[in-house]
Amino acid sequence: MTVKKLLSASILLTLLAALPASAAFDPGAYGVPKVKDLYLVILRDPDAQLLALEGGKIDMLSDLARPVDIAALSKNPAVDMSLASGFHAFFLGFNARTFPWSEAELRRAACQAIPRERIVRDLFSGYAEPLATYLPPVSPYFEPGVTTYAYDPAAAAKRLADAGWTKGGDGVLVSPDGRAVPPQKILSPTASVAPTTTEIAVRAAEALTSIGIPTTAEPMDFSTMLARLDKRNFGMYVMAWSMGKDPDSLYSFYSSKMDVPGGYNLSGVQDTALDDVLDRLKFAPDGTAAAAAASEAQKMLSDLVPAVPLYSRYSISAIRKGWKNVFTSERTTADNLWTLLAMEPESGPMRPLYLAQTDEPRALSPFTSTTAYDWQILGMIYDGLMASDPETLEDMPWLATSWSVSDEEGPEGMRTALAFTLREGVVWQDGRPFTSADAAATIEFLRKNEVPRYYDSVMHVEAIETPDDHTLKVTMKNRSFWHLHGIGGLPIFPKHVLETVKEWRTWLPAGEKSPDDQTLTGLVGTGPFVFREYRPGEYVRMTANETFWLGLGR
Amino acid sequence: MRSYWARRVGSSVLILALVLVLNFVLFRMMPGDPVASIVDPKFSPEAKARLMEVYGLDKPMLTQFALYVKSSLSFDFGISFLTGRPVADELRSRVPNTVALLGSSLLLSALLGTWLGIQAARKRGGALERLVLWGGALSYSFPSFFFQLMLLMVFAAAIPIFPLRGSLSVPPPLGGAALFLDYVWHLALPVLSQVLLGFGGWALYVRNLMVKILGEDFILMARGRGLPERRVLRGHAFRMLLPPLLTILLLSLPGVVSGAVLTETVFSLHGVGRFLMEAVTGHDYPAAGASFFLLALLTVASTLASDLLYGVTDPRVRLERGRGR
Repeated sequence: MTVKKLLSASILLTLLAALPASAAFDPGAYGVPKVKDLYLVILRDPDAQLLALEGGKIDMLSDLARPVDIAALSKNPAVDMSLASGFHAFFLGFNARTFPWSEAELRRAACQAIPRERIVRDLFSGYAEPLATYLPPVSPYFEPGVTTYAYDPAAAAKRLADAGWTKGGDGVLVSPDGRAVPPQKILSPTASVAPTTTEIAVRAAEALTSIGIPTTAEPMDFSTMLARLDKRNFGMYVMAWSMGKDPDSLYSFYSSKMDVPGGYNLSGVQDTALDDVLDRLKFAPDGTAAAAAASEAQKMLSDLVPAVPLYSRYSISAIRKGWKNVFTSERTTADNLWTLLAMEPESGPMRPLYLAQTDEPRALSPFTSTTAYDWQILGMIYDGLMASDPETLEDMPWLATSWSVSDEEGPEGMRTALAFTLREGVVWQDGRPFTSADAAATIEFLRKNEVPRYYDSVMHVEAIETPDDHTLKVTMKNRSFWHLHGIGGLPIFPKHVLETVKEWRTWLPAGEKSPDDQTLTGLVGTGPFVFREYRPGEYVRMTANETFWLGLGR
Repeated sequence: MRSYWARRVGSSVLILALVLVLNFVLFRMMPGDPVASIVDPKFSPEAKARLMEVYGLDKPMLTQFALYVKSSLSFDFGISFLTGRPVADELRSRVPNTVALLGSSLLLSALLGTWLGIQAARKRGGALERLVLWGGALSYSFPSFFFQLMLLMVFAAAIPIFPLRGSLSVPPPLGGAALFLDYVWHLALPVLSQVLLGFGGWALYVRNLMVKILGEDFILMARGRGLPERRVLRGHAFRMLLPPLLTILLLSLPGVVSGAVLTETVFSLHGVGRFLMEAVTGHDYPAAGASFFLLALLTVASTLASDLLYGVTDPRVRLERGRGR
């Protein structure tokens, strides 16, 4: 689907040949990384990144966003491109607390008045897909059977006329109860920070003005914009979000319980029926109930229209030719773990792999690091109990080989009990065995210290038990299917390292030496790569973890 | 004289105290806060509140101010909200690159610009003056980002005689001398770009000042006395030129430490400029407060040094000893 769209945009994009095979993905086909030395070269300027890839100074470049760069690399015979649908979603948001956006019919008409397809074509040269729903289509919880509002300004005008809206002499809409729509503004970041976002605000303003809603774009400093949104001091705004695999973002965005300071219900939607469905989504007892609630919530949202979904950007990455065993799927570009495990030169001896690190790593601490740039590195060191199948995004065994989710009666009602069976034979990068005590110590450490990054995952933990070295039981305080992903997605740290952490806020493990092995730092995981060195401003060096558990028995 | 310096030092301390207060107040008056910049629906309001606690932003404002003053005066500066690392460590890792880049650029731009400016003033109406006027204006006004990118594309990509990025090769060469040469090689293109962009301002300024000085009566007198032209220039004209030049040079020093955001970005250099910009835009109070406090400190020190040097270099400026003289 995505490939066809690109070709129809008349842009030569050479997709990697390894598009998904129909057979189920088999992680057992992978083992210890074949690449032995991995350098993440810090390159912040997009032009320099492009020159480095074209000049062979780096082998892979992720998250390409500028159409001009994508077009240039697509024509480069030394480079292969890969593309995948992603969880990016861009919305035009309303403040439904006050007139005129408190009127649902006006929001629906606005949704019909905005030419999404043209915006995507003009601004992104086809490297994005128009979005008409509240979850991106790649989400496993995406509901296709919802009402959508195709671009049709005449239908928008008719919709309003049918609902009793009229136009004043100045062409401005007047509500059925006689209130003229006051001038509206769309908040956006400035063009110097986000040029396409600013342009989208301008185009949306033009479209809304054309149906009688006098609107202008109001570009501003991004912090100022966020402060205005936080104080609910706005009429409309444009913003992109990363939605994640699970649909619980719907609860964050649209539950009235999240219309609080620091909450993300920016639209201020207050709908008891929707709240009820979102509660059922947030506190679903199992996957089936969660999927049903997610579907219902999407249908209700498409009727309420608390925001106008505009587009979802594709993930696009580029890799230099000369490497084989590159893995891609419709949902995964070439820059993924499986590629890093399996890739090797098409000819000649193994050589180091150079990846672009597009921003400076920060603390490189699993407790305080919040940026994707840090987690590009930390994610190769630490493993979670569960992972996602790169083709279906379904849960996949990782450090846990199996799990169960059950309900039990607690003092305050039903609660979720999780049981994980942990993989045997796994060792930490310093050679010590991985056991359930490590997983329990991780959860306890994060809970006791209320580490913000993991706060929402661990704060509902009631009890942790380790009946044996390879069984972990976690009882939660309330009932929610999502606790499985909250706990199953935590990176697991070695208990013996956690015991040495005196103050997690200032812990800088990349600068410490491991007591067991002086070639290691405090960053000791079970993951496929071992952290070796960080030179600020220059690079991060990692090496293959020769004891990586996927290679067990191979 | 002692009372003059006591007054100057006293006023400098007052300025620094004011900067401390303003740093604290102004950053907190900016719209938004460090947590507001987290745009992630997976981060609940409770998790955000916990983050505020971790940053110490839940404490009363007076307590925050006291902690801030203490950390500034002890040069500890606390932990950066954005990077999670000590601000002092962040600055320590960045200042050397920035000083090497901008210090050498400033010095070379000043030397080249001054020399060209003097030569242009000496040979008025000549080809060199025209070249300086045109070249200076072009250098002074050319958009740095575009120019640096062009240099990078030509001399690092099309004709790869300079590296594309950073201050070290990946992996770096072994041995101290090889490392040093590698560092110089990496800084060559950024420094060259800065010099080409910076010499014009100096050249135009010096040329204009020198033209004015060479028209002064005392120069006419010196020439009338039959002094050789070289002595007129060095002993008289340059002596007049030196104080304003030194003042500009000294007052440029804080800029040498505050960094050059665009240059650091284009050449992927680990410098102070971008750190400072991100600290301000990201509401990183410890990092922004520390950086601006240090810059203020450097500015005050540079101003004091410039006052001192004025007395040394300009024969007309002398602080008199004793009272009432």
